[in-house]
Amino acid sequence: MLQKLFLPLAILAIISVAISQYLIFIYAPLEQYLGYAQKIFYFHLPVAWWSFVSFFLSAVFGILYLLKKKQRYDNISYASAELGFVLATLTLITGSIWGRHSWGVWWTWDPKLTTALVLWFIFAAYLVVRTMPMSQEQKGNISAVIAIIGFLDVPLIFFATRLWRSIHPAVFNAEGGGLEPEMVHTIIFCVLSFVFIWLWFWLYRINQLEQEKQLEQIRTELLYNEESENND
Amino acid sequence: MFNIALLIAKKDLTIILGRSAGLCQALLLGLLLIFLFSLSLETGQKLSPHAAATMFWLASVFCQVLIFQMLYTNEEQNSARVGLQTLPCQIQAIWLGKFFAGFVLLLLSQLLFIPALFIFLSQHIGLHYGYSLLGIFLTDIGICTCGSLLGALCVGQSGKESLLSIIIFPLLIPLLLSAISLSSVGLLDFENSFYDIAQIQQWLGIAFAFDMMFCAASLILFPFLYRGE
Repeated sequence: MLQKLFLPLAILAIISVAISQYLIFIYAPLEQYLGYAQKIFYFHLPVAWWSFVSFFLSAVFGILYLLKKKQRYDNISYASAELGFVLATLTLITGSIWGRHSWGVWWTWDPKLTTALVLWFIFAAYLVVRTMPMSQEQKGNISAVIAIIGFLDVPLIFFATRLWRSIHPAVFNAEGGGLEPEMVHTIIFCVLSFVFIWLWFWLYRINQLEQEKQLEQIRTELLYNEESENND
Repeated sequence: MFNIALLIAKKDLTIILGRSAGLCQALLLGLLLIFLFSLSLETGQKLSPHAAATMFWLASVFCQVLIFQMLYTNEEQNSARVGLQTLPCQIQAIWLGKFFAGFVLLLLSQLLFIPALFIFLSQHIGLHYGYSLLGIFLTDIGICTCGSLLGALCVGQSGKESLLSIIIFPLLIPLLLSAISLSSVGLLDFENSFYDIAQIQQWLGIAFAFDMMFCAASLILFPFLYRGE
């Protein structure tokens, strides 16, 4: 069922990336002070937003897994956490490159940066749990709990780090964050069109995990049959 | 549930305080951290209240990790986990019992860390130490709530021991920021006792919100971790 969506999503993803490139390098004007370095922002913001969406989904499907105990929910939660982790890593790397050009440092204390890094650490621990030798149910329970409390912690991390100190720019404030209209159009298109790439990766990974579980089940059945035959 | 939780806490405290090795290990680790950091100071140099408060909380959090590992590993080593799970009460009583025991042990450790802070890091008590004490109280509640919930997942299998630190440190960041800010207010010198009451209230609010949120989450999530419901 999921496999039928892969090709249309891949085609849509390629088209949206091509349009994004046109908008980024031709349509959107060059930033006065940062020059071409500012173009990384059109990649940084979509990956940051979609990483948060992934972590949110991981927590939501974690709750559903704890309530319903369906393997499918655990697979979706796991796939979302993995994708969120990869996107959060890209957010931190692109943010650092951008920060180096605009603030002169690779890393600085900031609510958004710190929140992204803390989430990255929490979901890194989540992925460590997934590799540990324990029963499938135990693994599902522990991972779901980490995903839920990790996401619950986000508003507190954000407010606490903002109270500490902040230098991050507000991209979409009442005046448009000081961006030219063309820049705003481009960033909105980049964020929205990233959904195709995200959805493609997300569904692909869910499908992979489900196939993995099916293979495991077949393997267990074969081993059981083999043992039964040997005993007979 | 409350009475059983108190009984569990009493049992844990009797075992741990009666057998000195467990808590001593946690205390020594905390003291060593403070002492080793003091080596970075030049003779006569004084550490800023923020840095000193950070060292205090770093020692406390490491100590808390060891305390909760000890509390849950004791049950595992003595095969008492099934016994606890079959207690005629809600399973959250175990979480609450471990929370009480951990809270007392952490407070006892901090009674040793605070003088160490004055001795090794040359700190002085400021005028507004009341806020710091309130901050320590609220932070300890939050730290122990988290420790009691996540301590349950560090027992049983090899390799899980270090997991507690990896998960708990990032989760505690908002609480630790609040704790460091509130503790440093109490460490300011008498002559430099400038503070912003509105900001202190905001930090207290963050610590209180963290405590409430994690208490609620722990009560709901603990059965899934400890019994695998």
